[in-house]
Amino acid sequence: MVYILNNTREAMHLLKKLILSSQVRRVQSKGNNGLPLSFDQLVAGYEFPVTSYELDASIISKYLEAVGRRSEQHALATKFVPPLVIAAYTMTALSKSLVLPPGSIHASQELEFFKLVPIGITINCRGRVTQKLSRGKLRLLVIELDALNQDEEKVLSGKATLVLPS
Amino acid sequence: MPILNQELKPSDIHQGDNLPPVVKHVTQKDINLYAEASGDFNPIHIDEVFAAQTPLGGTIAHGMLILAYMSEMMATAFGESWLSRGKLSVRFRAPARPKDTITVSGKVGSIEHKEDTSYVNCTVEARNQSGEAVVTGEAVVKL
Repeated sequence: MVYILNNTREAMHLLKKLILSSQVRRVQSKGNNGLPLSFDQLVAGYEFPVTSYELDASIISKYLEAVGRRSEQHALATKFVPPLVIAAYTMTALSKSLVLPPGSIHASQELEFFKLVPIGITINCRGRVTQKLSRGKLRLLVIELDALNQDEEKVLSGKATLVLPS
Repeated sequence: MPILNQELKPSDIHQGDNLPPVVKHVTQKDINLYAEASGDFNPIHIDEVFAAQTPLGGTIAHGMLILAYMSEMMATAFGESWLSRGKLSVRFRAPARPKDTITVSGKVGSIEHKEDTSYVNCTVEARNQSGEAVVTGEAVVKL
C-alpha cells in the first residue's frame, strides 16, 4: 500500500495511527479473545484494549441535563467539554472490557486535567489494572486510565479504586 | 472569591478563602439520567429491588455524579484554570442516596509558588443533609 504524504503533520498523524493500531492488537492479545474479563481473570498489569468515543454535542447536552443545567456553564459557554464528562465516558468505555459484578462501588478517585477539550473531538482511552486485592469478602481493583485526543496528547488521567461485592 | 474569572491571578486568592458552595437535591430521576448520560447502568444505582437486597439497602448515586457537583464548584471558582489544569483526589466516605441534599464546599488551604506557576491547594468535601461526609478530598489548581 502506497501513501502519498502531503506534509510532515500528515506523516506524524499516520505514524501515530499505526502505533495506536499495533497497540490495540498488542493489548487485545492479552485479553480473553475479545470477551470481557471477570475479576478472577484480571491480573495487575493488565492493559485494557484501547477504545475510542466521540464527544459530540448531544453527549454533552445529555450529561449537563443529568448533573444540572447550570453545571460547568463556563465549559459550555466556551464550547469546551466539562472534564468530568471525559472521566465518566472513559471509565465507562474501559469498563466494557470487564464484567464487574452488580453492586460494585467506587472507593476513591483521582483525576487530573491537562488540556481544554473542544466539543466534537474523538477521545482514545487507555487503561490498566495496577492493583488487585482479594482478602476474605473484600475485593478491590485499582485502575489507572488516560484519555488522549486525536493527536495522542493526554487530556486527562485518573485512578479509580473499585470495591467489588464477593 | 472571583466567579468564572478567566483572568484569575494568584494575588486574587488567599489562604482560608471559601469556595462558592454548590447545593444539589439528588433524586432517583437525576441518578437515572446520569446512568443514561454516562452509560453506567450498575443496578446499585438504578434498580431499587436489587439495591434493597444489598448491604446498602437501596439505590445510591453514582460517585462520579457527586464529583460532577464538586467540579462545578471548582469551575465556578477557578474557571478555565480548573478545566485545563485541575487535579482532584477524593475518597467516597458514604453513599449519596435519592432525596439527599448534597452540599459541596471547599476552602483554599495553601498557595505554593514554584517557578512561574502557582498551585492553589484546596480541601473539598460533600456532605448530606445530616452533615455526614459523603466525599472528602483535595483539589489543586495551577494558575
